[in-house]
Amino acid sequence: MHESPDEHALERILGKNEEMAEHNSDHFQRSKTCVFNLMSAPGAGKTSLLEATLRSTKKQFTSAVIEGDMVGDLDADRIKALNVPVYQISTGRSCHLDAQMVGRLLHAESIVATQALFIENVGNLVCPAEFPLGEFRRVVLLSVTEGDDKPIKYPVIFRNCDLVVFTKCDLLEYVNFDLSAAEKNLKALNPKLKTMRVSSKTGDGIYEWINWLNSQMTEYQAQLKNEHHVHHAAH
Amino acid sequence: MHEATIAQSILNIVTDRLKSVGVAACALSVEIVLGEFRNVDPESLSFAFDSMKDFCPATSNCRLDINVINASALCSENAHNYRPVAELAYRCPACDGGIAKMVHGEELDVVNLIIEVADEEKKHARIAG
Repeated sequence: MHESPDEHALERILGKNEEMAEHNSDHFQRSKTCVFNLMSAPGAGKTSLLEATLRSTKKQFTSAVIEGDMVGDLDADRIKALNVPVYQISTGRSCHLDAQMVGRLLHAESIVATQALFIENVGNLVCPAEFPLGEFRRVVLLSVTEGDDKPIKYPVIFRNCDLVVFTKCDLLEYVNFDLSAAEKNLKALNPKLKTMRVSSKTGDGIYEWINWLNSQMTEYQAQLKNEHHVHHAAH
Repeated sequence: MHEATIAQSILNIVTDRLKSVGVAACALSVEIVLGEFRNVDPESLSFAFDSMKDFCPATSNCRLDINVINASALCSENAHNYRPVAELAYRCPACDGGIAKMVHGEELDVVNLIIEVADEEKKHARIAG
């Protein structure tokens, strides 16, 4: 994910996590599980977006969820109520999930069987950016109650993601959040970054979000097929 | 506060390399490069490293040298080489372009390790990669 390693490096400091993330990714590819890593500040609405997503996609694809929290399983209970398999990782003192924590769940029945796996990271815009988990796509949520300057304050996470979802957009008329300024700040960090606007409460934008998920899953399956062909051609 | 995790990773790299020497040795200093476009605070990292290095006798005298690397990027409009800074919202000062490619600033690597081999001559050895 980071593109400027030092050419004189003896060893990458977070190399073990990166290796473990690769290992997770290999497992997910074998079970054809498309993995989305959802990150945001605490309270940006990751669980609410997941609830809206899971309710609307039951007939489209199978899902499972990994909930990462420092303490408790309140978010997992909300997912369980929708009859979707959910696994809780309590990180204790740690402010992020790492690849090893996710690796312990690789053989869990519902994770091997699912088409989409959503990993809800610990609410934090700093640490999760440094720890890939083996995901196919990284999604960062930015709620409109937070301020359009968040990308300037937390450039690393917003630069190293595939999609930014503006959440709680039903509140736009009550808050001083300049969407075009936020989008401009994001494009400065990553000109190719895609953004979209949703409200999990009213359902606005959820259709576009689900379309994006479907397109990524299609792309993932196509990549797997290509790699399969390449692999066979090599033998 | 993932600096503790990073300090532990550095110490693990140091102890693994010490083991690979094959003779009794201890670490005197470890040098890292840290890009400013990584979420790592040098002071917190030094504090975490110094708090944790005593857990192993072979690292208890090891100094951590951190070389902070300024960010440098190629802009999306004209491929200008510039330093993306928060004050300009990481845009190119010449043409307002964004970061098309990060050339430097995302490093987080161990680049050098000085160890002391515990023989009678106290010979210093540098391990190269």
